[in-house]
Amino acid sequence: MILSSLFGEPLAGKYVLWLVDGLGMTLLVSAIVVVLSTLLGFLLALGRTSTLRPLSPMSAAYIAFFRNTPLLVQLFFWYFGLPGLLPEAAMLWLNSPHLTAIGGGIELHWPSFEFLIATLGLTLYSAAFVAEEIRSGITGVPLPQRQAAQALGMTHWQVFVHVVLPQALRLALPPLLGQYMNIVKNSSLAMAIGLVELSYASRQVESETFKTFQAFAIATLFYILVIALIEAFGQWLSRRQRVRGRTRPA
Amino acid sequence: MNLQVILDNLPYLLWGAFPEGQLGGAALTLVLSVASAIAAGILGLLLGIALSLSRGVTNAILVLTLGFFRAIPVLMLIFWTYFLLPVAFGIDVPGLVSVACALSLIGGAYLAHAVHAGIAGIPHGQWQAGLALGLSRMEVLRHVVLPQALRIMLPSFVNQWVALIKDSSLAYIVGVPELSFVAAQVNSRLMVYPAEIFLFVGAIYFILCSGLDLIAGFVSRQLQRRSQEAPDRGRCRQ
Repeated sequence: MILSSLFGEPLAGKYVLWLVDGLGMTLLVSAIVVVLSTLLGFLLALGRTSTLRPLSPMSAAYIAFFRNTPLLVQLFFWYFGLPGLLPEAAMLWLNSPHLTAIGGGIELHWPSFEFLIATLGLTLYSAAFVAEEIRSGITGVPLPQRQAAQALGMTHWQVFVHVVLPQALRLALPPLLGQYMNIVKNSSLAMAIGLVELSYASRQVESETFKTFQAFAIATLFYILVIALIEAFGQWLSRRQRVRGRTRPA
Repeated sequence: MNLQVILDNLPYLLWGAFPEGQLGGAALTLVLSVASAIAAGILGLLLGIALSLSRGVTNAILVLTLGFFRAIPVLMLIFWTYFLLPVAFGIDVPGLVSVACALSLIGGAYLAHAVHAGIAGIPHGQWQAGLALGLSRMEVLRHVVLPQALRIMLPSFVNQWVALIKDSSLAYIVGVPELSFVAAQVNSRLMVYPAEIFLFVGAIYFILCSGLDLIAGFVSRQLQRRSQEAPDRGRCRQ
């Protein structure tokens, strides 16, 4: 009662559901982007650390370009520019609805163009940041580790997979989780190209109900909750690593 | 590729309707970024010092507040400042000011942690030496610790400023006519050259951001050289 007099009437259930749906979309896009950008970022980091001539400068150029331009402009480029660069038939196919039956009476809807572009744009942008974190993880593994493994007769590949990579990933994990938080936060920009995620939903609720404070407060709370969960996961992971490190002395 | 469309709209993209109308385009992006960068820098410095010197409950409140600003998307904070500042204070807040507020708050929150880490990175002996000379805590901070810490912090400041230039594009969402907004405007007027327009606009942002990076790299090399020369100068004076 005191709360409602302080902040006005609470939102009707229908509008809270809009926000929950928005949160679902934010989580879905973020989860897909986390997986895809980690894969692409890993390849970029490999390219960046490789000694092959064209690979390293090409990865460096990719990282520099995608890091130093705003995500919003990148999203606009893909959203407005990509249709003109693709053949017409491909655009027709992308824009028309597709259903895929996966058995058991469940049908999978082909996602909207906005969803695809948001995923593509966010993945390409975030991969550049993920690549830098993984690269600094790889370069952070002390050289003697590599030399010792080579002295044991391991091949180049074995050294990388069994010695460098496990340590590099452990080093890169905390900053990587930070990047994953950024992905969740950056997914809010997808509202600019019309994806109905959490920020879009909060604007929608706000203009429908004029309950500005409530709409933004709930959306903000949802974002904080997601970020706090990732943070807690990171703390749990690092504590577990420390315990394991203690029980198995190197 | 049609470069004519860029040439035709070049003045509008670079400074908006300026001589006759409001400043816009890349010029407004620059103004917005510089203003927010200065405010974020000052805010970050003050909050970082407060974070380092405070203890107990004050410290916990500070950490939580900073955590709040770091956890929410810039876009969400722009909504807060744009829609609720006018309601809260009963005054008309222009879009430009509300975006600058949001950018400075977020930038300041990130920089506060960088400043705190920089201060924490200064060896404890420096504090003790300063105190032993009879300086107060604030004097030690100002004359001994901060000059050394700022050198360590420079990369974080530059990273944050680059992020700020990019985030200034979010002013688009509340209709501030900076570079991204006028680009979207030109795009929706013409509708036929989106790739050209957004590539060009991306290139302008790229030049701004990597330019800042280059300057910062140069400055930090200069600082490093000076700090290497410093011990020699000290010895001469002795």
